[in-house]
Amino acid sequence: MKKYTLWIAGGLGALLLLLVPLYFKSTFVLHIYTLTFFYIGLTAAWNIMAYGGNLSLGHASFFAIGAYVGALLYVKLGISPWIGLTGAVAASFVGGMILSMPLIRLRGPFFTLATIAFTEVLRLIAIDWRDLTHGSAGLNIPFDLGWLNLTFKSGAPFYYIALALAVGSVWLSRWVRYSALGYHLRAAASDDQAAEALGVDFNLVQITALLISATLTAVLGLFYAFYSYVLEPATLFSFELFSLQPALNAIIGGMGTVWGPVIGAVFMTPLGEFLRFYLGTIQQGLNYVVYGIILIMTVRFFPGGILSLLTPLGVRFKRWIGDTGDNQ
Amino acid sequence: MALLTVKNLTKKFGGLVAVHDMTFDIEPGEIVGLIGPNGAGKTTLFNLISGIVHADQGSLMLAGKSLIGMRPCHRSRAGIGRTFQVVRPFDMNVLENVMVPALTRTRDTSKARKAAMEVLEMMGLAEFATRSPGNLTLAQRKRIEVARALATQPKLLLLDEVLAGLNPTEVAENLPLIRQLRDTGVTILFIEHLMDAMMAVAERVLVMDQGALICCGTPREVTSDECVIKAYLGEEDPQC
Repeated sequence: MKKYTLWIAGGLGALLLLLVPLYFKSTFVLHIYTLTFFYIGLTAAWNIMAYGGNLSLGHASFFAIGAYVGALLYVKLGISPWIGLTGAVAASFVGGMILSMPLIRLRGPFFTLATIAFTEVLRLIAIDWRDLTHGSAGLNIPFDLGWLNLTFKSGAPFYYIALALAVGSVWLSRWVRYSALGYHLRAAASDDQAAEALGVDFNLVQITALLISATLTAVLGLFYAFYSYVLEPATLFSFELFSLQPALNAIIGGMGTVWGPVIGAVFMTPLGEFLRFYLGTIQQGLNYVVYGIILIMTVRFFPGGILSLLTPLGVRFKRWIGDTGDNQ
Repeated sequence: MALLTVKNLTKKFGGLVAVHDMTFDIEPGEIVGLIGPNGAGKTTLFNLISGIVHADQGSLMLAGKSLIGMRPCHRSRAGIGRTFQVVRPFDMNVLENVMVPALTRTRDTSKARKAAMEVLEMMGLAEFATRSPGNLTLAQRKRIEVARALATQPKLLLLDEVLAGLNPTEVAENLPLIRQLRDTGVTILFIEHLMDAMMAVAERVLVMDQGALICCGTPREVTSDECVIKAYLGEEDPQC
C-alpha cells in the first residue's frame, strides 16, 4: 500500500489547489496563484528546448504570437478564442520554423542571440503595424462576459484554466522527457557528433523540440491575453517578463529536469511579485538586483538548481515509503 | 556482393592528403584489421565511412547502396555503427546511454530498454546499468562505447582502438568480445595498435601509411611485408 503514498499526497495537493478560489476571495491572492500557474506552464515549455541544450531568450515572441493571433481573431473577426487557438498554434508553428533556421546552424550562445534578435524583429513589427495592433498604445479586449469569449466576472475561472494549463504543460514536458525524443535530445545536448553517429537526427530532434515548445508557449500566450485584457507590445514582448523569466525559473529550479521548472516558477513568481510590490516603490529596478543575487547564488552554490538540493531528500522519502521502482 | 565497397576514396585537409585514393572491399562476416603508424589516416577513414567528414573524391557503397552525401545519422540507420577512439559517453546513466541508439530502431521506450539491457548483458555491463559512465573504468567505458554502437544493430561495425589504454588483464578480457561480436553476424573493421590483438583476431589486415593503402593480406603476410616494415621502422638502406 505504501506504493500509493505518493499518489495520495499528490491527490491531496491537487484537491487543496482546487479549493483555493473558494477560500481566498482576495483578487490579489488569486492573481498570484494564476500568474504562478502561467509561469509553471511557460517554464515547462521553455524547458523542452533546454532538454536539447538550447537556451532560448526569445520565448516572449511565441507568447506574443499566441496572444496577438488569438486576440486579433476575436477583436477583428469575432472568432472565439477557443477556435482562435488553432490560429495561434499555426502562427507559432510558422514562427518556430523560421527560428529553426538559426537553430540548426548556430550553437550555444550564438543561437541564444538569434532568439533575442528574432523577438526584437517581431516586437518592432507589432509596434509599427498600427492598423492591426494599434501600435504601442495597445489593444483592449472588449468586456463581453461568457465562456466562449474567455471573459469572466471573477478571477476563479481563470485560476482553474491556468491550473489546467500548468498541469498540461508539465505533463507534456514530462512525456517528452521520457519519450524517444527526450532521450535523443539529451544525447544531442551531451555530444552532437556521437549522437549523430548513433543514428540520432540532430536537426530533426532539435526542430521538433523547438516546435513543441513554441506552440505550447503560444497557447499560454493566448490565454494570458484574455486574462490581462490588454495587448501591448511593451508587455507581451517584454524581455524580462516572458523571455528571461522562464529561463531564470528553469535555471534556479533545475534546468533540463521535469520538476525543476515547477519548483523555479513556484519559488520565483510570488517572490518576483512581492519584490516588485515592495522594492519597486523604493527604487525602480531594485527588485532585479535581488533577482541577480539569487541567480548568482544559485549558479555558484548549486548549479543543478533547487531540485538538486531536494533530490537526496526525495530519494530518502521514497525509500521511507518503500517505493523502490524507477519513477518512469 | 561485398558489404562495403570503397573506391578511389580521397580526403584532403587543406594541403594535407589524409586519405589518398583508397580502394578496398569488405565481405560480409569478415573481421578486418586496420593498422598503420600514427597519422596514417585510419581515423579519418572511419570518419569518412561513418559520414562525420565528407569525401572529396571516390565512392563508398554499403551493400551496393551509395553512402556519398548521406548524413551520419542516416548512415547509422543504413547499418554503419562506430565507436570513437576517445570514449564519448552521454551525460546519463549506462542503460540510458545504450537506449539512445536503441531508440533510433524503435520508438517504444520499453522495447528499447529491453534491447539495451540485452546488449549490456552481452557486453558484461548489466550490473552497471544504473551507474554513471563517469564512475566506471576506461575498459568499461570502452565497452559502453561498443554496446552503444551494437544497439544500432549495425551490419558493419567500425571499432576505433577499443583496446588502447587498457592494461593487459583488461585486454585479455575485452579481446574475445570482438570474435563474439562477429558470431552475432556483424562484420567488423577495427583499428588497433596492439599487434598481438591484431594477430589473434583479424582474418585480413589493411595497412595504411600517409593516407594510402600500402598492403593488404593475412596478418602473417602483412607482418613479413617489406613495405609495412619500412612504414613502421623506416628504411634500412636508401637503395631498398
